[in-house]
Amino acid sequence: MSQEKQKKDLAPNDTLLNEKELKKLEKKRAKQEKYYTSSQWQLMGRKLIRHKLAVISFILLTLLYIGAIFAGFIAPQGLEDFSATYSNAPPSKIHFVHNGEFIGPFVYDYDITYDKFQNKVYVENKEKPYKINFFVKGSSYKILGIFKSDIHLFGVDNSDLPEGKDKVNVMLFGADQLGRDLFSRILIGSQVSLTVPLVGTFMSFILAIIIGGISGYYGGIVDTIIQRIIEVISSFPTLPLWMALSAAIPAGISVTKVYIFITIIMSLVSWPGLARTVRSKFLSLKKEDYVLAAKLAGVSDFKIIIKHLVPGFMSYLIVNLTLGIPNMILGETSMSFLGLGMRAPATSWGVLLQECQSISNIANCPWKLIPVLFVGTAVLAFNFLGDGLRDAADPYK
Amino acid sequence: MPETILKVNGVSKTFSSKKVDVKAVNNVSFDVKKGETVGIVGESGCGKTTLGRCIVRALNSTAGEVIYKSEDGTEYDLQHIDKKTMKKIRREIQMIFQDPFSSLDPRMTVYDIISEPLRANFNLSKKEMEERVKGIAQKVGLNPSYLKRYPHAFSGGQRQRIGIARALVLYPRIIVCDEAVSALDVSVQAQVVNLLKDLQEEMQLTYLFISHDLSVVEHISDKVGVMYLGRMVEYAPTDDLFGKPLHPYTEALLSAVPIADPTVVNDRIPLEGEIPNPANPPSGCHFHTRCKYCTEKCKTEDVEFVEMEPGHYVACHRAKELKLKGII
Amino acid sequence: MENYVVNVEDLSISIKMDEGILTPVRNVRFAVKENETLGLVGESGCGKSLTSKAILGINDKKCKATGKINFQVDGKMLNLLDLKFGGSEIRSIRGKMASMIFQEPMSSFSPLFTIGHQISESVRLHITKDKKKAKDITIEAMRKVGISNPEKRYNQYPHEFSGGMLQRALIAMALVCNPKLLIADEPTTALDVTIQAQILELMKELQKEFKMAILFITHDLGTVAKVCDRVAVMYLGRIVEIGSVMDIFKNPLHPYTRGLLGSVHKIGGGRERLFSIEGTVPLAMNLENKCGFYDRCTYRDDVKCSQVDPCLREVEDGHFVACYLDSPSQGKQNTR
Repeated sequence: MSQEKQKKDLAPNDTLLNEKELKKLEKKRAKQEKYYTSSQWQLMGRKLIRHKLAVISFILLTLLYIGAIFAGFIAPQGLEDFSATYSNAPPSKIHFVHNGEFIGPFVYDYDITYDKFQNKVYVENKEKPYKINFFVKGSSYKILGIFKSDIHLFGVDNSDLPEGKDKVNVMLFGADQLGRDLFSRILIGSQVSLTVPLVGTFMSFILAIIIGGISGYYGGIVDTIIQRIIEVISSFPTLPLWMALSAAIPAGISVTKVYIFITIIMSLVSWPGLARTVRSKFLSLKKEDYVLAAKLAGVSDFKIIIKHLVPGFMSYLIVNLTLGIPNMILGETSMSFLGLGMRAPATSWGVLLQECQSISNIANCPWKLIPVLFVGTAVLAFNFLGDGLRDAADPYK
Repeated sequence: MPETILKVNGVSKTFSSKKVDVKAVNNVSFDVKKGETVGIVGESGCGKTTLGRCIVRALNSTAGEVIYKSEDGTEYDLQHIDKKTMKKIRREIQMIFQDPFSSLDPRMTVYDIISEPLRANFNLSKKEMEERVKGIAQKVGLNPSYLKRYPHAFSGGQRQRIGIARALVLYPRIIVCDEAVSALDVSVQAQVVNLLKDLQEEMQLTYLFISHDLSVVEHISDKVGVMYLGRMVEYAPTDDLFGKPLHPYTEALLSAVPIADPTVVNDRIPLEGEIPNPANPPSGCHFHTRCKYCTEKCKTEDVEFVEMEPGHYVACHRAKELKLKGII
Repeated sequence: MENYVVNVEDLSISIKMDEGILTPVRNVRFAVKENETLGLVGESGCGKSLTSKAILGINDKKCKATGKINFQVDGKMLNLLDLKFGGSEIRSIRGKMASMIFQEPMSSFSPLFTIGHQISESVRLHITKDKKKAKDITIEAMRKVGISNPEKRYNQYPHEFSGGMLQRALIAMALVCNPKLLIADEPTTALDVTIQAQILELMKELQKEFKMAILFITHDLGTVAKVCDRVAVMYLGRIVEIGSVMDIFKNPLHPYTRGLLGSVHKIGGGRERLFSIEGTVPLAMNLENKCGFYDRCTYRDDVKCSQVDPCLREVEDGHFVACYLDSPSQGKQNTR
């Protein structure tokens, strides 16, 4: 009403305002109207964008997930490629200038010698440059399990390789014991390490909504029983529980099945906390006047849940889910690290870290700790994003 | 003489927990005639809100009945009818809430909020619905162009208008206003009170106006009921109640109302002590612990709610002999 | 010069926001004398609470205050805004020289400590380090505010008090150090009428005894009429009218004051429509240079009022108004 009045009031003054000012006013009004007509999610988005750390985290996570989706394409090596020659090779240096001449990015091959402890020592052989080309052919892979291809983003041009010599590789993060490129394996491993938490969270989200919803909506004895079950489950220490459950995974089953089992284990352990959040939100929202108003208007119980209650706590739930993901990442990593999770030939960040179980390995090949950086980045990014979401979750306060 | 539209008959509501039973509403009876406004006043914790919620059956009362006479003359006991009939009747008894912030779902547009009752009750075409919502919005003084907005765009007064529109969109006959203007600023309060009065005239509404603000109640109500500790202690036409109250509690309550006029010096009748714990109310007349006219009889014997003068009900042993002071 | 306890001059408060600069308080000036109650009246968002909090220096750090708040300390006037935010000087004034009571007695006490402990805290801070003495002073203050059996009540927790009693305890806490200025921010809004009346009477009695100045902030005109000597009406961050309580209620000059008084129903005043001010309060952001009440005013002069925001001018002795209207009889009559 006040706005309309303002407009009316402006009319006699039109002559006083020049066109530029009028346009500015019009723009301001449109901006305001946009704010007035923006929904909860739009308001949340606006608030989230102001949270710089959350935005940076979101970008980082997007990059990580793009890396996971296109792992086969970005990684120069495939899952099954290995080369005994380059076992424990250090990260390759990328050169641009050969014999004082700029020839684009290339790597040198290694000359291999042994020190007195019979450890391999790699020295660059500066005679022949091996050019790094883009979109080269390599081992075949599938993107999202559908699109088959053998083109890799980059790789070493091995076309004029002397016969009998092992292929020269570009190994940005060095190689492991079997001479596999760590960079490639981190990317391929992220397919497991970054998706198990997502799928697991989604599963526990479904469990939490159903069980927490039932508990909060019906109350009474059903509520009491469910609450006691939740208490019992959450009183177990997580790590032994994971170990016990993963011990139940039968040996010698396929990689896919192991993946599914691990996801189920993760979600079985994490749903109780979420279910509690759902229940308490349910209870507090049930008391809101607008729920009573809907009831008095004759809206059915089911519709009230779908239209008022679920959207009401959805934002909180998303915050909780986001903040729960780091736990799952760490969980999967530690399980795999202990050899209870993913097993070779499949890989994940935890599997990659298995090699770091011996001190001498870390001392000689410190690059094998690089997966830790990725785990840390992902965990922190999810935490910051969750933080930002939490601040933005209730745009009405 | 307008017909009786609502008959509240001995309604009680007891909240039980493991240790104590709290009688929030205790045997309350009164009649409401069509087109009138009945004010319910009392201090916090006296049970007025619970009573209102029992009447719209947001709560199930533990005893008593609420008889509602519908348009065609059929009488329904709102406390005991089956779910299906209740759904039909429900649209005729609506409610306006105190807090204009928690009573509107922040995730719905104003249009969705106002049209929700329509969608739940009728199968209207999109166009019919739009027309009806726009009509109601105009009636309560909301610009139809605001319907696309979300509640966060509005101030308290405008939000209250949205709440009123939602209550009106089903064309109810009775509206329970639970502290409907208490949370608003004075000037906005006046706007909303005027709006409620206009709407009453236009749509022949019956209001049950629950409030702790005696001056607003005096302004808007035809009859007023005073509650104390879950019981109704006095029920009378407004002028009678404010002019010559028959219950000592009413007298004390009236004398405490601050009047916006520095030349008026009201001699307040002080109330001794505090409101007793409702879980453990005093024996006899609940008010005897704080009443300056209290006798032995008041302490032991329960009082009945009787019609002392035509239309003027009171629950006091000494109502006949006492000469109490009103404020008009 | 008169014996002012606090003299606020040209106080403005601005808050920087993403959308622009919010100025919830603009060029406010008023003074409170000893033994006097000044009512600060206005609707929510008019800046009355921010003004009072600025005196105690307890506003958010984001709120930038400019102007002068002269406070009488040992016979000299001290500008509180010169003091360091949160420094020791302002802290020694807060609690000892000026104190505040709030709307919600329940949230003003910590549930973890006894009432007695919380009241005696400021005694121990400002008056004596002796615990025994502090307790005696506290109990005396509790008795004065009408808490029966204060020795027993001293050791009770807030949840054992009723709302009215808690508000009394809060007043005891505010008065225990004999402050010169008491700021009461809607002290009775959350209370029931009968208790409200008790608390107001108590405050009047205590004022007589302690001779303090009271700044009474409220939106309830009924309580203002009852307890205040002078009244300042605020609208959109400015004082639009200030005068004695009789001036304001019997001869209101500003159209907003008139509207406000007209909106209050008087018991026994019949059933006719209440007067209401049209429209809503604008947001105190990017204000144009015109009278803040212009859009809602029924008496406005389209030329004069839309170009310059009027300053306060003295119309009668001690009665100031910020409006170009010349006399109260001008324009339409108030509905009352």
